[in-house]
Amino acid sequence: MILPSFAFEVEPLGASPLFNVGPLTITNTMLTGVLVAIVLISILVRAARKSQLNPKAKLSFYVESVVELVLGLIVELFGDREKAMRYFPLLLSLFLFILACNLTGILPGIESITYFHNGTHTSLLRAWTTDLNATAALAVLTMAVVEVHAIREIGFKGYFQHYFTHQPWKPMNLFVGLLDVFGEFMRLVTLALRLFGVIYGGEALLFAIAAVTGNFGWAGMLPIFFLEIFFCFVQAYLFMMLSASYLVMSTSMHEQEAEHSGAVAQLSKASS
Amino acid sequence: MEHVDPALIKGLTIGLGAIGPAIGMGLIGASVVGAVGRNPEIQGKILSTAFIMIGLVDAVLAFVLLILFTTK
Repeated sequence: MILPSFAFEVEPLGASPLFNVGPLTITNTMLTGVLVAIVLISILVRAARKSQLNPKAKLSFYVESVVELVLGLIVELFGDREKAMRYFPLLLSLFLFILACNLTGILPGIESITYFHNGTHTSLLRAWTTDLNATAALAVLTMAVVEVHAIREIGFKGYFQHYFTHQPWKPMNLFVGLLDVFGEFMRLVTLALRLFGVIYGGEALLFAIAAVTGNFGWAGMLPIFFLEIFFCFVQAYLFMMLSASYLVMSTSMHEQEAEHSGAVAQLSKASS
Repeated sequence: MEHVDPALIKGLTIGLGAIGPAIGMGLIGASVVGAVGRNPEIQGKILSTAFIMIGLVDAVLAFVLLILFTTK
């Protein structure tokens, strides 16, 4: 006989509203996101103030090591230090903010402190990335930056020709172009859903393991906690690297085409 | 259709949904071990690419977990 489906408390899929500021409803994920942002900004500003050639402050030394590490990855991906430095601030802040928001999900007290309002208990704080609105906002921001910079680098005509080539009236080119445009929207959706799915799924997994192991929850949840920490790092890294590679791909289309036409010109010269 | 126990459906969801990511992770692991064996000097680069790929694959498993835990 199959056991009756074991009932356990899982946090609701959407964020719970806490209070209203004018027409804007503040949810618990928004509150945590703002708190994490304040903490992160204050740490980074402190580190930047004490930054010098031979850092003596421990904090700025550690922050600079992290920045150096991320800069190495980005420069390696772009293959050009000057171009990498142009996008580096966005990518670094994406990485640090997503990482911090992911890791808040496993801090003590984040889900368990509740707020009593209108006869119901809602958790006061909840990790920012366990809200699909938040990750969708990040994905929209990233893809908007990618598209705007693509248009700025290669011009509107080049941008159009990247999708529809220079003969858009041919049905095959039109079809492939439409598929590419659809692919851009799929990038947006997958960026948002991947981050949300992994972090929310991980937290739900923690709840489920706690419910299944009962009194031995501390033993059962320990390996899952390490798995969660690993996933937090991997997802932050992945979001940053994917945004960087989208930037590389969309801003270097022009150069590739130029190289290609150059190669074609050389070939035609050689053949003639 | 007769009433189906939701626990059965949940078990099938995680069981069938884990097949794909498991195969994908196995392929990534095999390729990484092979690549590191051939070029041990660029182990760091290979591993960082492998982590990206693992992240892409386990997102599929995360979707399965999401469906599993959010359906009643």
